[in-house]
Amino acid sequence: MKKIFLSLVMLVALSVCAFAQEKTYSTMPSNITIKNIDGQNVQTSVIQNDGKPMIISFWATWCKPCLRELNTIKEVYADWQEETGVKIVAVSIDDARTSARVKPLAESSLWDYEVYIDQNQDLKRAMNVVNVPHTFIVDGKGNIVWQHTAFVEGSEEELIELIRRLNKGEDISSK
Amino acid sequence: MKRKILLGLAVAIIAPISLTAQNILGGHVTGNVQIDAQVSREDTAIGAGKVPEKFLSNIFGNVLYTNGNFTAGLRFESYLNPMLGFDEQYKGYGFANKFVAYTNEKYEFTLGNFYEQYGNGLIFRSYEDRNLGLDNAMMGVNVKFRPYKGITLKGMVGKQRYYWDYGPGLVRGLDGELALNSLISKWEEAKTRVTLGAGFVSKYEDDETILDVANSEYKLNLPLNVGAASFRFDLSHGRWNLQTEYAFKSQDPNATNNYIYKGGNALLVSASYARRGLGINLQAKRVDNMGFKSKRSETGEMLYINYLPAMTRQHTYALMNIYPYATQVNGEMGLQADIAYNIKKGTWLGGKYGTDVKVNYARLMSIDKQAVNDTTPVGKMGTDGYKSNFFKTGDELYYEDFNVEISKKLSSKMKLNLMYAYISFNPVVEGHSGDMHYNNVLVGDLTYKINSKNVIRGELQWLKTNVPYTSDDKRSGDWAMALVEYNFTSAFFVSLSDQYNYNGGGQHYFNISAGYTYGTTRLQIGYGKQREGLLCIGGVCRQVPASNGLTLSLTSSF
Repeated sequence: MKKIFLSLVMLVALSVCAFAQEKTYSTMPSNITIKNIDGQNVQTSVIQNDGKPMIISFWATWCKPCLRELNTIKEVYADWQEETGVKIVAVSIDDARTSARVKPLAESSLWDYEVYIDQNQDLKRAMNVVNVPHTFIVDGKGNIVWQHTAFVEGSEEELIELIRRLNKGEDISSK
Repeated sequence: MKRKILLGLAVAIIAPISLTAQNILGGHVTGNVQIDAQVSREDTAIGAGKVPEKFLSNIFGNVLYTNGNFTAGLRFESYLNPMLGFDEQYKGYGFANKFVAYTNEKYEFTLGNFYEQYGNGLIFRSYEDRNLGLDNAMMGVNVKFRPYKGITLKGMVGKQRYYWDYGPGLVRGLDGELALNSLISKWEEAKTRVTLGAGFVSKYEDDETILDVANSEYKLNLPLNVGAASFRFDLSHGRWNLQTEYAFKSQDPNATNNYIYKGGNALLVSASYARRGLGINLQAKRVDNMGFKSKRSETGEMLYINYLPAMTRQHTYALMNIYPYATQVNGEMGLQADIAYNIKKGTWLGGKYGTDVKVNYARLMSIDKQAVNDTTPVGKMGTDGYKSNFFKTGDELYYEDFNVEISKKLSSKMKLNLMYAYISFNPVVEGHSGDMHYNNVLVGDLTYKINSKNVIRGELQWLKTNVPYTSDDKRSGDWAMALVEYNFTSAFFVSLSDQYNYNGGGQHYFNISAGYTYGTTRLQIGYGKQREGLLCIGGVCRQVPASNGLTLSLTSSF
C-alpha cells in the first residue's frame, strides 16, 4: 500500500517539475455541496457571474481580519459592480457552533454579497485554503487567476485594480 | 524511511515555488503547505519547561490531483518532534491522509480518508483542526447519492484516525436529507422552506475486561455495538429561520461517563431573524451523557465520533480568551442570545458612517441528576448512573458570558472597536474544583490608515478578576495588555505586544512578531513569551504550555 502512495507522490513531484513551464489555471470546483445562506444544500456550480469576474472570499464569523475585509469592501462594492461587473461571493467556514450566526451577521452588516456556508469545509479543502481570510479572483471562464491571504485596510484598492486589469485582458496571475 | 523524508521535503519545497496549478495529463495539481517550528528555552518564572531537542516542528503538505470528476489527495505530516502542547504520540512522519474520490451530479464516492458530518454533527462529524492537534479523519468508504432533486443519501464505514494509527472501533453510518421544496414544483418558489433529515451511526468494538472497581471480581458486561440516531427539522420563512436537531444514543459505558449504563441524548434548537441592519439568533441546547467515541477507554479529545458545539461566543481578543468554555459532554444545559444591529448612518448615534453594535449572552448550567435508587450514588460505575428531568437544570452554573461590542468608523482614516465582557467561569468545566471566577474584560482596538499603503493598529485590553494570583495557575490574577501593529499593505507587518499579569503574578509576556505575505505564501516569525493556557476552537480545547523563545510559521498554497 505504502509503496503505491510513494510512487504516486514521485509521479506528482516529477510531473510538477516536467510541466512547470506550461501555465494553466485550476478552475472553480463545480460539484461540491455547500449550503446557501438559508441552510439549503447547493452545488458550487451555482456560483456564476455571467462571464464576468468574481471575487471569492473565505471568511468566518470569528475572524476579525475577515470581517474587516468584508466591511471595508461593502462601502465601495456598489461602485465596483457598476464599474467592473465584479461579484463578491463570501464563503463562510463556520461550523455547527457558529454557522447560525452567519445570516444574522451578514444581514445586520448590510452586506450585498452572495453568502454561502461551507460547514464541512469541503470547498475549503478543495481550494487549498489553510487560513482565513483567503481571497480568490476567478475570471469569466471560471479560472482561478489570482489568490491571496491576509487583509489590511487599503488592500481593497489593489484588489479592484487587479479586476480592472483582468477586464482589460491582462494577465494578473502572480507568476 | 529516509526516502520518505526526502519525498516529503520535495513536496514541501516544490509547493511554495509553483504558485499556479500545474497541468498533468489533462488534470490539475494543487496543494498547500504549512510549516510551524519552535525553539523554546527553560523559564521557571512562567513555567516553561526544558526542551531537550531544542528545535520542534510540525509540518503539513497536501497535494490534490483533480481531473474532471476525479480527485486524489495525499497529505504528508511530520512532527519532529511535536511542538509544545501537541501529544507526544504524534511524534514521527509519514503520509497521514490519502484518498481517491469520484464526484458527479448524482454520486460521490470517496475511498481512503474522508471528512464528513451528519446534520450539526451531534452523532457524527469527522474533522481536522491542526492548531488543536486534532484529526479524527475517517479511513474507509464514504458514499453520497442524490437520486432526485432535494434528496441526499449518505453512507459510510471506516475507522477513525488515532495519531499515526486508527482507533479500534468500527464506525458505520447512514444519513438522509429531504428538501421538501425541491420535490414538488408548486413549492419550488415558496417562501416557506422545509428540510428534514435523519441519521444513524453505530460503533462496533471488541469486548475487553473492565473491572467494576467496587467488586473487582466482577467484569463489566459491555455492549459491543453502540448506536446513535438523530432527527433534524429545518424551517425557513423569509427573514425567519429555525433549525432543530435531536439525537440520542444507546447504552455506552465508557471512560468519559465513568462506565455508566445510561443512554444519552442531545437537543439543539436555533432560531434566527435577520433583516437589513438587524440580526437576532437565539439558541437552546441540552446535552446528557453524549460522549461518543470509537474507543471506550479513551479520555481526552481524540476519537470522538460526534461533535457537540459549544454554545458561547468564540472570542478573538486575547484576554477574553483566558477562561474559555468547553462543551461538557456528560451534561450541560444552556441558552445563547446574539443580537447584531447597525445604527444607520446620518443619525445621531450612527454618525457619518453608521455604527455596528453586537450583544451576546450565554449561560450554561449543569443538568439535573438524581440517584437511580437510595443505595446507589449518582454516576456510580456499572450502574444506570442517574435519572434526569429533561426540563430541569442542575444547581451548578458552568459558564456565563455577557458581552457587548461596538464598531465605529470615526473618519475615512480611523476605525474604533470597543468591547466589554463579563465572564463567569466555573473551574469544574476544566475538571478541577475551586472558586467561581468573575471577570470583567475591557478592550479598545483602534485602526489608523495613514494612507492606502500604511496602516497602524493598536489594542488595549484589561482583565479584572475576583480570584487572586496563585503560582500554580499562571493565568490567574489581573491582566493588562497592549499591542501595536504596523502594516505595509497586506504584504508586511510587524507587531509588538505585552501581556502583564499584575497584582501578584508580576510577569510580563512580551512578544515581537513580523510577517511577510506574497500571494498565498505567508511567513511569520515571532519571539517572546507565551502564557500557559487553553487554546480553544469550536468548544474543543488544548492545553498549551508556557514557552519562551522563537516561533516560525510558513503557509502556502498553490
